[in-house]
Amino acid sequence: MAPTLISDEALMLEFQGGSHPAFEQLFARYRGPLYGFFRRRLNGDQRAEDLTQETFVAVIRASAQYEPRALFRTYLYSIAMNLLAAERRKRAKDSPPGKDAPEPATREAPDSVLWIRHALEKLDESEREILMLREYEQLSYAEIAYFQSLPVNTVRSRLFRARIALKEHLEPERCNPEKVAASESKKNAGLPRVEGEAI
Amino acid sequence: MNKIIHPIEPEELMAYLDGEVTADRATATAAHLGECAECQGVVADLRSVSQNLKTWKVEPPKSATPAIAPALAENRPASRNVFPAEWRSWREVLGQYWPTVAWAGTAAAIFLLVFGTVRFIGSNANNVFSQVGSQIENSGSSRDRITASLSPPSTAPVNGREFTQLLQLSPGVAQTKQPAAQQEQTTNGPLIIRTADLSLITKDFDKARANLEALVKRHRGYVGELKAGGSTGSERTLSATLRVPADQLDLTLTEIKTLGRVESESQSGQDVTSRYVDLQARLANARNTEQRLTDLLRNRTGKLSDVLEVEQELDRVRGEIERMEAERKNMSNQVSYATLNATITEDYKAQLQVVPPATSTRLSNAAVDGYRSMVDGVVDLALFLLSNGPSLLLWGAILFMPARLVWKKVRRSFAA
Repeated sequence: MAPTLISDEALMLEFQGGSHPAFEQLFARYRGPLYGFFRRRLNGDQRAEDLTQETFVAVIRASAQYEPRALFRTYLYSIAMNLLAAERRKRAKDSPPGKDAPEPATREAPDSVLWIRHALEKLDESEREILMLREYEQLSYAEIAYFQSLPVNTVRSRLFRARIALKEHLEPERCNPEKVAASESKKNAGLPRVEGEAI
Repeated sequence: MNKIIHPIEPEELMAYLDGEVTADRATATAAHLGECAECQGVVADLRSVSQNLKTWKVEPPKSATPAIAPALAENRPASRNVFPAEWRSWREVLGQYWPTVAWAGTAAAIFLLVFGTVRFIGSNANNVFSQVGSQIENSGSSRDRITASLSPPSTAPVNGREFTQLLQLSPGVAQTKQPAAQQEQTTNGPLIIRTADLSLITKDFDKARANLEALVKRHRGYVGELKAGGSTGSERTLSATLRVPADQLDLTLTEIKTLGRVESESQSGQDVTSRYVDLQARLANARNTEQRLTDLLRNRTGKLSDVLEVEQELDRVRGEIERMEAERKNMSNQVSYATLNATITEDYKAQLQVVPPATSTRLSNAAVDGYRSMVDGVVDLALFLLSNGPSLLLWGAILFMPARLVWKKVRRSFAA
């Protein structure tokens, strides 16, 4: 018989009651994903690890105030996003203007990763964030809408646009990098026609 | 133009792949996908994008987590949680060494028996029992204290069976001391909010006031509100809202009446039994709903919008519970503590004429009035001149020559 999976929220409430093993379980569940979240958005693996730890430390310190109002995942990522925003602000302040583009680590990255990252960088910032939250953090549309302060329908359409644009960015690079610019104009080409549209 | 019209938007196809469509739309989408090659192409494209994105893998975090352990150590659980943990560990220890403990205990008992110390222990035990006995005997006199301590806390869950307990609890809301006799009365009889109004006239105001406060204390009541007005030069009035235990109301009234001459008296009672029972039932229902919603929130995971909806509902129910709880407490308090509105007016001073103000005050008042009327006159004149001056000048200029001619003629006629 498979062991029953305790929900994150139940574990967090247990931790609130003083159970350290409950926290350890939560830590084991989310350490990797959180590290990935920071690592894909920031330059430097050590900083990503620090911020992952800072997120958990914030969870520990605020545990007394935790209330199961929303999913624990939402709670955790909202802390992580605040930390990420603070980190980006700090970097923008420290570094000279013009070099503030988010630049994840490049060393030891294989070609395929570089290819994906370059394609992602071409996306609009909001669309890129939505796409990354969906693909890498596996957040639901509603959660993304919450984080981005957007209506769910907007998230859906931006996500769609981002995916189609990314497809366009990926294809020519793989076949022929010179065609990248040309592909921009054909962003929405080849989509099936929707009922109600003029023929 | 041979383009096909699709019942499903490409965006919806994507949402279908992401598991973000409702069950009926998912069925419709799956059905359409089964027969539409073009949409299958879109799905394949979207899947390929996701697969490509997944090739960007992040290596697992390497280093240890030095910040977590200190933070965990700092974040000690609340003391209520520490105690059971230690207690359990004691039980475990006792369980582990139980045979040893048992043997040691038996050996100690034999040792005590052999050396005749049983008597000593027996005398101690007697002392202990006698202390307990005296406590039981005393409990008759301090029954109110014991009853108060046995009363459940004010936040105890409410249901129909606890109705009587809650009634007993109600006096504890405002006053911890509550005689058992009164609780019995409140529990068995109907719930009536009693109110009495009493108006007195007394000759010795200060004494009446002191006596009033003393007798309220004697009857275990308290002063809800007290207003004393009037100065020594005029009649003084005291109006007080007193709260006394319901069973003490009649006695208190009789005693207050001795403080002076009764001018008016009225008593009223409002039966709130059915309202109270109804409130209890609604409160119990709301608590059940709150429990169900909390369980739902704790154990189910779903869409954020659903969670937020449950959250909103929970907030609403909690608000209702708090409101009803406050109403219930208020009602209990009103039932167990009668309200007595007492007004005491000073008799002797009331018959005196009001002393006229001193001569110096009257003189200074007259001076101030005179000065004020002078200033007002000057200001009025200035206002009149400013508003009518230009017109007067104009008319003066126009009428000056004719008037002068007339004047000269008159003078001439007189001279002639």
